Amino acid sequence: MMEHFVLPNSGHVRDAESNKLGMWLFLFTELLLFGGLFIVYLVYRALNPDAFLLASFELSIPMGTINTVVLLTSSMTIAMSITALQKGKKELALYLMMATVAAALIFMVIKFFEWNAKIHHGLFPGMETYSSLPAGESLFFFLYFFMTGLHALHVIIGAIFIAVVIAKVGSDKVTGERISLLENSGLYWHLVDVIWIYLFPLFYLIH
Amino acid sequence: MSDTSNNYVNFFQAKKGIKSWIFTLDHKRIALLYLYAVMSFFLVGVLLGLLMRLELIAPGETIMKATMYNQTFTLHGVIMIFLFIIPSVPAIFGNFFLPIMIGTDDVAFPRLNLLSWWLYIAGATLALLTLVVGEGPADTGWTFYAPYSVQTGTNVTMAVMAAFILGFSSILTGLNFIVTIHRLRTPKMKWFNMPLFTWALYATSWIQLLATPVIGITLLMIVAERVFGVGLFDPAIGGDPILYQHLFWIYSHPAVYIMILPAMGIISEIIPTAAHRTIFGYKAIAISSLAIAFVGYFVWGHHMFTSGMSGPARIIFSILTFLVAIPSAIKVFNWTATLYKGSIEINTPLLYTLAFIFQFSVGGLTGLVVGALAADVHIHDTYFVVGHFHYVMFGGTGFAMFGALHYWFPKIWGKMYNTLVAKVGFTILFIGFNVLYFPMFVLGLLGMPRRYYDYLPEFTLWNQVSTVGSWILATGLIIVIINLINAYRKGAKAPVNPWGGVTLEWQVKSPPPLHNFDRMPIVSEDGPYDFSEEYKQKIKQA
Amino acid sequence: MKENEIQHITSFREHFSTYVSLVILTIMTVAVSVFGADLLSLTVLTAMAIATTKAVVVGYYFMHLKYDPMIYRLLVGIVMLLFVVFMILTIFDYVFR
Repeated sequence: MMEHFVLPNSGHVRDAESNKLGMWLFLFTELLLFGGLFIVYLVYRALNPDAFLLASFELSIPMGTINTVVLLTSSMTIAMSITALQKGKKELALYLMMATVAAALIFMVIKFFEWNAKIHHGLFPGMETYSSLPAGESLFFFLYFFMTGLHALHVIIGAIFIAVVIAKVGSDKVTGERISLLENSGLYWHLVDVIWIYLFPLFYLIH
Repeated sequence: MSDTSNNYVNFFQAKKGIKSWIFTLDHKRIALLYLYAVMSFFLVGVLLGLLMRLELIAPGETIMKATMYNQTFTLHGVIMIFLFIIPSVPAIFGNFFLPIMIGTDDVAFPRLNLLSWWLYIAGATLALLTLVVGEGPADTGWTFYAPYSVQTGTNVTMAVMAAFILGFSSILTGLNFIVTIHRLRTPKMKWFNMPLFTWALYATSWIQLLATPVIGITLLMIVAERVFGVGLFDPAIGGDPILYQHLFWIYSHPAVYIMILPAMGIISEIIPTAAHRTIFGYKAIAISSLAIAFVGYFVWGHHMFTSGMSGPARIIFSILTFLVAIPSAIKVFNWTATLYKGSIEINTPLLYTLAFIFQFSVGGLTGLVVGALAADVHIHDTYFVVGHFHYVMFGGTGFAMFGALHYWFPKIWGKMYNTLVAKVGFTILFIGFNVLYFPMFVLGLLGMPRRYYDYLPEFTLWNQVSTVGSWILATGLIIVIINLINAYRKGAKAPVNPWGGVTLEWQVKSPPPLHNFDRMPIVSEDGPYDFSEEYKQKIKQA
Repeated sequence: MKENEIQHITSFREHFSTYVSLVILTIMTVAVSVFGADLLSLTVLTAMAIATTKAVVVGYYFMHLKYDPMIYRLLVGIVMLLFVVFMILTIFDYVFR
C-alpha cells in the first residue's frame, strides 16, 4: 500500500498557533468561571455596603500587598524565562522558572497564615463566630474563602504546570523552537496574576 | 469519483476491537461513540416522558406519587438537556462532519476530543447513579433553583456535580471546534466559503465556551451551600434567592441556543441539497448565527419575569428578547426563499426539514408570546411554556437531528435505508409530536400549571389527547429507529453522493477513509453551495 | 502548520520596566485606599480603574498581546465586553428594586 496522502492543513501536525489559541480560549473559560463569583460579589456588596466594609477590616493590607508583589514578580520571571529560552539561554530559563515556582510557594505560605488566622477567629463558613456574624458580613467571608480558595487552587495548578515544563525544558523536549508549552504555562500563570489583581482591591482595600 | 470499488480501507476497517473504539483519536469514531451514547440516553429520557404522560392521563394519582413525579420530570429534564440535546448535534454530527466539511483530517486537538467523550460518560454515569445512591434522584427540576435545591434531602449534590462535569465536556468540544475552524480550513476555503453548518457550529462553540463556566461556578456554589449550610442565597443574612436565578439563566438561556443553532445549521445544509440550487442569502444566514449567539447572551432575564425582579429590568429583558426573533426570522425566510422555484426532491431529510421549519416557527412565535412581559405574567409556569420549549427543542432540534441522521446515514455507513419505511416513520412521528404537544398550548392558556402530578378535572380531555399523542410519537420513533438499525445491518450499498450535495463531505468515499481525503479537496470559489455544471465537472475530473 | 513563523522576542529590559510600572500601580492603589478614605465611593472606582490598568499591562506585555495578531486582542475585547454587560444587566435589576 502507498503512504497515505497527507493534507497540508492536517490536524495531526504540531501547530504552535493552534496551541496558543486553544490556551487563550481556555483562559476565557477561566475568566468567566471567576466572573460568576465576581457578579455575586458585586450584587452582595451593593446590597450590604457597610457590612462588607466592616468585614474587610479583618483582612491584613500588608499581607495582601506583599502577596500582590510576590505574584507580580513571578509573572515577570516566567515572562523572562520565555525570552531566555528563545535566546538559547536554557540554564537561565530554568532558574527563572524555578523562581516562579518558588514565588508560588511563598504566596501559598502567606495565604496559609492569613487563612489560619481567620479560621482561628472562627470565621470559616459553618464555624461558631461565622454563624453569629451580622447579615452581610458572613457573605463577605464566604466569598473571601470561596474566591481566594479557588484562586489558590489555580496557583497550585499553575505551579505544577510550570514544574512539568521545567522537566521538559531540562530534557530538551521544550526548546526555543518548540516553546509553545512554556508559553502556554506562562499565559496560564499571568491569568492567575490578573485574577489576583482584582481580588486584592475588592477584598483588602475597601475603605 | 466514479470509483465505487472496495480498494480502500474505510475508517471502520482501519482497526478492530473495543479498545480501537473507546481510545480512538479519530473524530469519526468519537462521533459514533457519542451517537450511541446520546441515543441511549435519549431513549431513557423518552421513557421517562412517556411515564409522565401516563401519570397525567387522569386527574389524581395514576401510576406514581407526587415526589416520584417530581423526580421523574427532573431526571427527564437533566437527561434530555445535558445528555441529549446539548451534545446531540455538535458532538455527533459536528465531530463527524466539521473536519470533513472544511477539508481536513481531524479536529485540532484529537486527544482533547476523546477526553470530552470520557467526561461525557463520567457525567452521565454520575447522573444515573443518583437513581440508586442515597435518597434518590433530585426532585428540584433541572433548574436546581435555590433555596429548595439546598434544602431537599434528595441527591442534588450528585446531580449538580454530574451537570458540572458534563459542562466541562461541552466546553472542551467547543474549544476544539473553534480552534479547528480557525486553523485547519483547507487553504482555499475562506471564512465565507465555509458551509453554513460550520458557521452554526462556530457560533455554538462560542456559547459553549463562554456561557458554560458560569453555570459551572453556580453549581459549585450550590454544592458549597449544601456542604457548609451558609445561606448564600438566604435573604436573612443579606443574600438574595433571585441572584441564583440570574446566574443560572446567564448560562441556561444561551444554552438553548447551543441546542437550536447547530440544528439550524443542518437545515441550511439539507435545503440547498434538496432544492438543487444555491442557498438564498448565504451571508445573512452565516451572520445571523453569530447574531443569535451574541444577542442570546443578553436575554436571560425573560425566564424571571414573575420572580420579583425589578420592573425596569423586566422591561429591558423583554425588549432584548424580541431582538433575537430578528436573526431567527432571517433564517426562516432565507430557507423558504431557497426552496422557491428550486427543483425540489422530496426525500426523507427534506421532510424532517419541513417539519422543523413548521414546528420551529410555532415554537418561535409562541416564544414571542412568553417573551412579552404582560402575556408572560399570565402564562408563566403553565403548560403553555412546556408546549413552547418542546416545539423548539424536540420539534426543532430533535427533528433536525433525525433529519441529519437520514441525510448523512449513507455517508457515515455507506449504506442506504428503506426510504418508504423512513417516510412512514416520519409521518407517524410528525403526527404524534403535534398531537402530544399542541394540546399543551391550550392547557396552558386554560391555566394548567406545570410540574404537578395532578390537575383539575376540567383539564382531563386535553391531557388525554396529549397522552395518546405520546403513544403515537413512540410508535413513530420505534419505526424510525428500527428502520435505521436494519439499514445498518443489511442495507443496500449507497452511492457516494445520493442526494447530489456539493459540500466537501460528498467528495469523500462512503464510509470515509481513515484520513478523510485521498487528494486535495476541491473548493469552489463561488461559495460552498455551487451547483453549477463547471464545478461538478471539476470534481468529476479529479 | 506554520512551525517556523518568525517569533517576536520581548527583551528582558521591557519585562523589567513592565514589572516596575505594575509595582508602582500597586503602591498607588494601596495608597489611595489607606490615605484617600475621604474620597468615599470614588475609591472603589479608582481601585477598579487601577486594577484594570494593571490587567491591561499584564495582558499587553507579559501575555504578549501587543505583538500577537489582531484577532487575539479582538477576542479578549469581546469577552471582556460580554462580561461587563453581564454585570450591568444583573445590577440593573438590583438598582431599581
